Amino acid sequence: MTSEELVAPALSTYQDDTTFEFAQVVSEKNLRRHLNLKDPQDQTEIIDKINEYYSLEQVIQFLQQRGEDGRLKYKRVTLQFPDSLVGDSATIVHELQRRLGITCSSIDTSSSCNCNSKSNSNSECCQKVDNDNDNNSQSQAIWILADTSYSPCCVDEVAAEHVNSDLVIHFGDACLNIIDKLPVAYVLGKPQIDIEKLIVQFKQRFPVDEGHKIILMSDSPHTYLLRDLYNLLKDEYPHLLYTDLAIDNNSSATIIGYEPIRSNEEAFRILNRNIIGLNASSIDNEEDNTAFLQEYDLFHITKPETPRLLQLTTTFNSVTLFADGNISQGPFPNLMRRYRYMHMARSAGTVGLLVNTLSLMNTKKLINQIGQKIKQAGKKHYIFVVGKPNVAKLANFESIDMWCILGCDHQGIIIDQSNEYFKPIVTPYELLLALSDELTWTGKWITDFNSILRNLSNEEEEEEEKEEEPRNNEQQEEDKPPVFDPVTGTFVSTSQPLRQINHLSITAEEEQEEDSTNSSNSLVKKFSATIAIKNTVSTSAVHLQNRHWTGLGSDFNTEDGEGEEDGNEQGAILEEGRGGIARGYDYDNSLKKHS
Amino acid sequence: MVAFTIEQIRELMDKVTNVRNMSVIAHVDHGKSTLTDSLVQRAGIISAAKAGEARFTDTRKDEQERGITIKSTAISLYAAMGDDDVKEINQKTVGNSFLINLIDSPGHVDFSSEVTAALRVTDGALVVVDCVEGVCVQTETVLRQALGERIKPVVIINKVDRALLELQVTKEDLYQSFSRTVESVNVIISTYVDPVLGDCQVYPEKGTVAFGSGLHGWAFTVRQFATRYSKKFGVDRIKMMERLWGDSYFNPKTKKWTNKDKDTDGKTLERAFNMFVLDPIFRLFAAIMNFKKDEIPTLLEKLEIQLKGDEKDLEGKALLKVVMRKFLPAADALLEMIILHLPSPVTAQFYRADTLYEGPSDDASCNAIRNCDPKADLMLYVSKMVPTSDKGRFYAFGRVFAGTVKSGQKVRIQGPNYVVGKKEDLFLKSIQRTVLMMGRFVEQIDDCPAGNIVGLVGIDQYLLKSGTITTNEASHNMKVMKFSVSPVVQVAVEVKNANDLPKLVEGLKRLSKSDPCVLTTISESGEHIVAGTGELHLEICLQDLENDHAGVPLKISPPVVSYRETIEEESSMVALSKSPNKHNRIYVKAQPLDEEVSLDIENGTISDKDDFKARARILADKHGWDVTDARKIWCFGPDGNGPNVVVDQTKAVQYLNEIKDSVVAAFQWATKEGPVLGENVRSVRVNILDVTLHADAIHRGGGQIIPTMRRVTYASMLLAKPAIQEPVFLVEIQCPENAIGGIYSVLNKKRGQVISEEQRPGTPLFTVKAHLPVNESFGFTGELRQATGGQAFPQMIFDHWQILGGDVADPASKPGAIVKAKRERAGYKAEVPDYTEYYDKL
Repeated sequence: MTSEELVAPALSTYQDDTTFEFAQVVSEKNLRRHLNLKDPQDQTEIIDKINEYYSLEQVIQFLQQRGEDGRLKYKRVTLQFPDSLVGDSATIVHELQRRLGITCSSIDTSSSCNCNSKSNSNSECCQKVDNDNDNNSQSQAIWILADTSYSPCCVDEVAAEHVNSDLVIHFGDACLNIIDKLPVAYVLGKPQIDIEKLIVQFKQRFPVDEGHKIILMSDSPHTYLLRDLYNLLKDEYPHLLYTDLAIDNNSSATIIGYEPIRSNEEAFRILNRNIIGLNASSIDNEEDNTAFLQEYDLFHITKPETPRLLQLTTTFNSVTLFADGNISQGPFPNLMRRYRYMHMARSAGTVGLLVNTLSLMNTKKLINQIGQKIKQAGKKHYIFVVGKPNVAKLANFESIDMWCILGCDHQGIIIDQSNEYFKPIVTPYELLLALSDELTWTGKWITDFNSILRNLSNEEEEEEEKEEEPRNNEQQEEDKPPVFDPVTGTFVSTSQPLRQINHLSITAEEEQEEDSTNSSNSLVKKFSATIAIKNTVSTSAVHLQNRHWTGLGSDFNTEDGEGEEDGNEQGAILEEGRGGIARGYDYDNSLKKHS
Repeated sequence: MVAFTIEQIRELMDKVTNVRNMSVIAHVDHGKSTLTDSLVQRAGIISAAKAGEARFTDTRKDEQERGITIKSTAISLYAAMGDDDVKEINQKTVGNSFLINLIDSPGHVDFSSEVTAALRVTDGALVVVDCVEGVCVQTETVLRQALGERIKPVVIINKVDRALLELQVTKEDLYQSFSRTVESVNVIISTYVDPVLGDCQVYPEKGTVAFGSGLHGWAFTVRQFATRYSKKFGVDRIKMMERLWGDSYFNPKTKKWTNKDKDTDGKTLERAFNMFVLDPIFRLFAAIMNFKKDEIPTLLEKLEIQLKGDEKDLEGKALLKVVMRKFLPAADALLEMIILHLPSPVTAQFYRADTLYEGPSDDASCNAIRNCDPKADLMLYVSKMVPTSDKGRFYAFGRVFAGTVKSGQKVRIQGPNYVVGKKEDLFLKSIQRTVLMMGRFVEQIDDCPAGNIVGLVGIDQYLLKSGTITTNEASHNMKVMKFSVSPVVQVAVEVKNANDLPKLVEGLKRLSKSDPCVLTTISESGEHIVAGTGELHLEICLQDLENDHAGVPLKISPPVVSYRETIEEESSMVALSKSPNKHNRIYVKAQPLDEEVSLDIENGTISDKDDFKARARILADKHGWDVTDARKIWCFGPDGNGPNVVVDQTKAVQYLNEIKDSVVAAFQWATKEGPVLGENVRSVRVNILDVTLHADAIHRGGGQIIPTMRRVTYASMLLAKPAIQEPVFLVEIQCPENAIGGIYSVLNKKRGQVISEEQRPGTPLFTVKAHLPVNESFGFTGELRQATGGQAFPQMIFDHWQILGGDVADPASKPGAIVKAKRERAGYKAEVPDYTEYYDKL
């Protein structure tokens, strides 16, 4: 047999290079609708409008600030744009350079795009406009950050740190969540809407004399309109309130081009908004201080991203959205679906902690604490950091039963509305509900990290009081009973894999002994046979064992069985394959060299 | 005055040849519990006066109030037989004492699952048939189930008193009615011939059919009369039995037996059965009911019946009851049938072992079961959970098939998903106590050997409904029970007070434990769903949930039906989907699976646990599949065992084995939540025609394949004329002729289709059978009563799934409207997606 020539099996489908070509990028014309251009071709108008929209005058003033020693306060400035506004970035940089007097030896900003070698990320396109060194105290350098790895509403600290930036200017809609390190300036922009149309529709939705309690809110760029709107409506609606942007006092962030009201009294704050006209002190400062908001109807300008929308719908009595010149009331994401996921999390054995932010304050603390909590509950967890998570990326980790996503409450949480994801995704709050012994469902949806940490520490205090009595019981030889999974109506025995460690370590030892006896003829030492690695259960190993295909050669025996009639199936001869990584294999490199 | 002690019973348990495990099964209201009473009374547990009315085995309050049995109840009884009788037992026996473990089961079709659970732990069945109503739908269902479990039946024709008192039939009419009933029972039995079990038909002349009245507490077999007459005629009893049934006549003049109904003079002869068996009974009835005071004492003397002091003063029915009970005590006839003709565990397990055990039929555990060996490793099957007085705790009720179970014994508890060598669904635990189930009471025993029925304390937390308990690490599971009913009617439950939610969830857990068939889930939109087999079943479950298991006030939605998604044609073209990175392609076509195949998968004839070659053989021989296809079934779905399959029809695709796990995972997902409704898919076969995979392993990982396989499954289904299936009930209605018009009009209104209408011979009753969509069955009973003046009462049992004709994508059609409503409730887009949503162009 071996002497015969090996013929590769004929592939059933013809494959040539085109099969594996990447899909072509479809170019799209950016119309810059947000600028309200009269003539999209007119360059001077575009520059004017951009100056106005982004309040560039104030940006320049901000950048020209000098520290106490007379030096420029910010030397290495990064500008972050969301995808929708990135088209304006080049123009903005041109303007800033021109007016700040930054001289560039090679100004070809619009086309050349040198990826900064310091950043190993392909996803970022950093334009180093000024490449002279830091010693020159008078010069400033500007980079554009686009295509952020996580949610675009958040400041991408990691990307900014690649160029040792000392200031991030964030353009467009922002979540205003506190970030860990860098100072930030937000440029929200000044979008326009048809106020008259809005008022007409507002009055239709809330007839004047019905005494509705209404709160006006919007995304952060539109917030500057709310004050005027409030003044227009307040006479007819005595119970009307409006919100303004709120930045935490501890934060080193500034808003450029818009000045939120700073009232003397402490205004009532929720979801990074101050509700103007409500005093924090006037409300009972008990734990559940948002309950009174259930009396209010919310009128929201623009349609927020799903996570925020869910949060708003759970906070207020009703939510009315005004977007694209029309009001709508739904469909809204369903909180009861989350209830189902919470139950699924209770019976899940392996939790994947999906970290979808690196810049939010307390992220690391939260990861550690949740990890601890999961361990205590007897579940296994793995931590994943995935940039721009999607269905395919998450489905790669088949052994994960449940994802828990840590991300910005604005856009950084994946809410799977059409069951696209292979395994359900919950938020830390929901996971905590699921991990507690007693079943609770509050009907609330808490996403900000501080509240969750507070919940966590409360729970810990309670637990300390309880003493660690049950520990001893667990050491007993009897197994813990399975848990009832109300989602499927069955018992699940795999919900606490870590609790099985005693049971498993015994069998693992036995197996190892057996292995050593017959290992002589096995080619590769099979790790997959062990479930416990370094005294902890590996649910991935368990999962691998349950797979049909566990690696090269694992199907050889099965083929053998089937092969009786198919003829004498024999193992192929081992030959050297290609090496390297997918981006460039050895032979690719050698080809290049030759050519 | 209990006629036996626990010690006696315990002692008998060791003599397994003298144990009889049997269940009492029948159609609703044919008198199971009442008949059981006479056995319980014989054992001295209830007084004779109460027998027939107490319904000792109806332990729940609502069972007593409603007068129906809801849960099956077990009781162990002690019985002694005379030497004469013992000699006739044609299996091994030791001594004259016997232990009867009896399970009284519910007759209402909605509770069929209780019957299944009872049948699993017994070896014989007492089938009760109403003399007037005859063989009904549930009689047939339970009989079929019994035979499927290899359980031998004996029959009692009950309520003979009704025939005599209400219908006033003649002797010959009564004989004909008896014989017809026996025949229709035998017709059912003969359709389920199992060569291993042998002939299971019942014959009055062999003593496997009894006649009687549970309410009056009397019953007889032909054998009993044969015993009486064999002395008189000096004929062998066996011969006498044959003469007392069928076309056998006695000519009093010539004193000769003949098989012609005319004598030589052409005069009509009276049938021997009528003359020797029915005549004394008819005379007693006539004399007592017509108050012929003077005739009675002579009759009594002739029949050797002695009345006590105050009993002599009785009149009419009361007297009849006392006299008949003394003349032909029901317990005698029943015990005789049970002990003589039902198999002992030793006998039964010899032929049942193969059907009871999942593992190979020659391993140690299976051999131990076959031999009913009390010294082997323990093999115990828990068939249901019985609530204890301690709220939330249950006795695990089951049967020891091999070995001996003891209090304090450490055992392996294997749940339904346990696979040998894996850790899932396996628990080590000590049994706290073993108990004997005695109706509403329990008696503690130290241990229980093979062949007996037992209750276990302390393992209820590890099993939801059923499971296997063993001490042998190599033991496979006992076969999971297959129910003839399926939970197709569902409601959403919600707590009135949000703080009660934890109690509801705990209550749902207890409810799922306490009932073998109820299903509790959470719907896509986060509602708690309780699914039952019918309206009555649901009503009882919800009542238990609200009052007992959860104990909190509930809001309950109107009942709805669960649907299935399916396809009607083969995909109109090859469906193709590309992976998210566009480097992998899967080409499939979907085609409908034959209904027979789906049914075989659903009842476990074809399953993923079978050897693939054996499975391929069945598919090829029975269902006409191509053998190559049949061998290349990759998986069943959903849940790994559902009635949908993936067949690999590719040729020489590289790396194909690598993606098998991903394809299987995706198919489970896709068939669990179909493209049209988000409901389970049924009867879809997906053929993978071709696969293109990227050469690098990382680019063809699960992340690329799972979403793609799901998409392509959807696309192929949407290309194959998607449809929805609705569950259909088989309805059986018995009523007098004048009510038939009303029945038809109600059925017509409800999309019902009559499949048969026949008059029960000898009675004015008509039996109408029809198919009725479950969706239309809500309120059907009420409307039927109204339309027939309360004369018709339907029995409804899940029969099959039926495609609901019409375009699912068109909201104007019936299925379209259902789809739209369901999609909106679940929060999907209202329109059914087009195939292009999942299909990728090349």
